[in-house]
Amino acid sequence: MKVGTFPGGLNLGSIASDTSTFHEVPSSGTVIIPLKQYSGKACEPAVKKKDEVKVGSIIGESTGNDDASVHATVSGVVTNIFKKYPDMKGGTVPAIEIESDSKNELDVTVFEGTDIELIQKAGVVDLDIDAVPLHSKIALAKEKSVNTLIVNGVDVESQFSSRAVLLSEYAGEIAAGIDIISKLLGVTSVHIGVIEKASSAISSISSACSTAQVVGLKDKHPQSLRELLVKAILGKEIPQGGIPEDIGVTVISAETALFVARAVNDKKPVIERFITVAGGGLSKSKNVLVRIGTPIKEVLDYCGVSVGGAGKVIIGGPMMGTAIHSTDMPITKETTGIFVQNENEIAEFPSGVCIKCGLCIDICPMKLMPFLISGLSEAGKYAMAEKNDIHGCNECGCCSYVCPVLIPMVHWIKFGKSEIRAQRSSE
Amino acid sequence: MKTPELVVSTIPHVHGGNSVQKMMINFMIALLPAAGMSVYFFGPGAIVVIAISVVSAVAWEFIIQKVMGRPLAISNLTGAASGLVFAMMLPPTAPWWMICIGTFIIILLGKEVYGGLGNNPFNGVLIAWLVLQMSFRGEMAGWIYVAGEFLTESTPLEILKFEGLESIPEYFTIADLFIGRTTGFIGEVSAIALLIGGVFLIVRRVISWHIPVSFMIGVVFLSGIFWLMNPEECADPIFHLLAGGVFLAAFFVATDMPSSPTTPIGMLTYGFLCGLVTMVIRQWGAWDDGAFYSVFLISMLTPLLDKIKPKAYGR
Ligand code: SF4
Ligand code: SF4
Repeated sequence: MKVGTFPGGLNLGSIASDTSTFHEVPSSGTVIIPLKQYSGKACEPAVKKKDEVKVGSIIGESTGNDDASVHATVSGVVTNIFKKYPDMKGGTVPAIEIESDSKNELDVTVFEGTDIELIQKAGVVDLDIDAVPLHSKIALAKEKSVNTLIVNGVDVESQFSSRAVLLSEYAGEIAAGIDIISKLLGVTSVHIGVIEKASSAISSISSACSTAQVVGLKDKHPQSLRELLVKAILGKEIPQGGIPEDIGVTVISAETALFVARAVNDKKPVIERFITVAGGGLSKSKNVLVRIGTPIKEVLDYCGVSVGGAGKVIIGGPMMGTAIHSTDMPITKETTGIFVQNENEIAEFPSGVCIKCGLCIDICPMKLMPFLISGLSEAGKYAMAEKNDIHGCNECGCCSYVCPVLIPMVHWIKFGKSEIRAQRSSE
Repeated sequence: MKTPELVVSTIPHVHGGNSVQKMMINFMIALLPAAGMSVYFFGPGAIVVIAISVVSAVAWEFIIQKVMGRPLAISNLTGAASGLVFAMMLPPTAPWWMICIGTFIIILLGKEVYGGLGNNPFNGVLIAWLVLQMSFRGEMAGWIYVAGEFLTESTPLEILKFEGLESIPEYFTIADLFIGRTTGFIGEVSAIALLIGGVFLIVRRVISWHIPVSFMIGVVFLSGIFWLMNPEECADPIFHLLAGGVFLAAFFVATDMPSSPTTPIGMLTYGFLCGLVTMVIRQWGAWDDGAFYSVFLISMLTPLLDKIKPKAYGR
C-alpha cells in the first residue's frame, strides 16, 4: 500500500495507546445541552421548562441550513432554559438543562423522511474540528458538483485513538454510512484516510467497505486537517482561504458516517460521542462513549483523571485544542477529545528574540514563514501579514512547538487574523 | 460551582523542548572531532588556543552583559560556541592577546551592540576574524609543521598560489588533505572530522543541509570550470573542496543562524554564492583562501535572499 503524507509536520509519537473498545460513561444526573453545537446559528428551543423529555426527544429543531437538531440525551424533566450558557470558545449559547430520572426511557416517535431529511432530523453534524451541520454540507457539495469524498479516519491529534478504534470496531456501520453519503453526493471516488500504523482499522474498514479506497497515511501532526488530507490523499491543494468543495472534494469524519448510518437506517439521533481522554497522569489514554450534555467533570472522574493544582483541561488535543476554564462545561458534538495537563506539564511561551534558525519554516505544513507573519501581527502590520499569507495558517501549532526561543507564534497569528476580521467588519 | 482553577492559554499546549542551549551543545559536540584532530596534529598549542578562545568569549559575554545592564545569557552557550568555532579559524600559534581581542569583537560587535542574539545582521565570528586578518597578518599566518609529517610551513592553498600546482604532490596527497595532515587554521585542516561533525549537525537538525551542500556544489562547479579550461595550472575540484576552509565554512560558519537565510531557496542560493565567491577569491583574489571572506560578503545579501519565500500551500 502506498503511504500518503505531506511536507513538514511533526511526528509526535505513537497513536492509539488505548486500542481497547469504548467504555460507556454512566448516564449523568443532570445534563446541559447547548442549542448550538456546531458552526452556524443556534436552534430555537422546542421544549419549555418542566416539560418531560425522553432519550432522543427533539429539544431544538433545525429549520434551515445553518443549524442542526438537538435532542435530549437522558429522560427526565427540563429544569432550566439558559439564554446564555458559556461555550468553550469563550462566547455564550442558549442551552437546556435536563434533570435525569435515571430511567433512560427512549422516545418512540419515529423520524420519517428522505435520507437527507433524516440526517437533518437526527442532528448529524460533521464531527470534526469545525462541526458543520451535515445536511448543509451535503447541499453545498452538490451545489459545487463535488466528485470526490474523503473520509477522515485520522484522529484529530496523535494522542487520541478514538477514530482508529471506531474504524476497526464499527467498520460495518461506517461503511453503510459512507455508502449513504456517497449516494447523496453522487460521487464515485471515495477515499478513506487512516494512519498506516492503525493496522486493525485499515483491515476492518478495507473489508467492510469495498467501494472505497483505503489510503494509509504517515503518523504526522496535523494529518487530520482537511487541507493536509487532501494533499496527502489526492496530491492537490485547496486554494488559500477556500474549502475542499472548491476543488470538488468533500471531507467528512469517520464517526459522521457512523451516525449517518444510524440516522438513516435505524432512525436514531446523535446523542453521544466517541472520544479519547488522555493526559493528566493517565498512564494510558482511555476511549469513552459519552452522552452529549454530560459535564466534563464527570467524564474525568470516570476516567480517574485529577486535574492537579492549577492544571489545564483542553477540548481537543495538546497541539490544537482549546483550554477551558471550567469542567462544568458539557460534552457536545464539538468535543473532539479531552486532554488534561497537570500544573507542572503546562508549556509556557515566554517569547524570546527570534534567532532565525528556520525550524518553524521547516516544520510548517502550509509552507509559510511563521516567524515573519507572527512578527508582523505582533507589530500590527496586518496588511503585510496578509501579503505573507497569514490566512493560509491552519493553526496547527507546529511552529511554536519547535521554536527554540519559545515564541508564541500561533498566538500572534490568531491575534492578527482576528484583528483583520475586526477591521473588515467595521469597514 | 467553580472547580479548581484552570489555566487557559492559547495553543499549542506543549513544546518540543528544543532550546538555544541544546542547539549550542550539539554545535560544540559537532566540533569536537575537528578539535581533537587539531590537538593530534598541532599538539598542546591547539588546546591552549581553544581554551583561551572559549573562556575569553564567555568572560567577555559576562562582562559586557553586566556593563550593558542586560540579563545574563551566558547559559545559552552561544558565547562558548562562538569561542569554539573562532578557535577553529586561528593558527596554532595564535597569541593569547590576539585571541582575546577577537573574542571581544565577537561578543561586542557581533552580538551585544545590536541588542543581543538574533538581532545581529553579521556573523560576529567572521567580523572578528576579518579584523584580525587585516590587523595582524603575521600572527594570523603563524603556521607550524609537525616534524616528519610534512616539509612545509605553507598551507596547501598558499603552495598552489605561490609555487604552482605541480609543487603540491611534493608536500601533500589528497588523503593528507582529507585526514588533515596539512597545515592551516587549527580546525579547518581535517575534512573528515568536519564532515562527521557536519552530518551530526544535520541529523540533529541544528542546521539544515541546504547551505553546506550548495556551498560545496558552488566550489566544485566553479573550480571544475577552471580546471577543465586549464588543467595545467588549476587544481581539480576535489583539491579545492578539501584544501583550506571550505568544510569548516560550509558546515559551521556559513550556517550561523541570525546572519544566514531561513528559506530553502534562500539557503541554497546563499550557499552556492558562497562557493562561487570562494573560488573567485582563490583564483583571482589577493588571498589564497576565500572560504571565510566569501561567507562574510554573501551574508550581506541575507535580507534579500530571505525574500525568496517558499510557495505557500494553496497559492
Ligand atoms: S504558521 Fe500556522 S500552519 Fe504553519 S506551523 Fe505555524 S500554526 Fe501551523
Ligand atoms: S523557530 Fe523560533 S527562533 Fe527559529 S526562526 Fe522560527 S521563530 Fe525564529
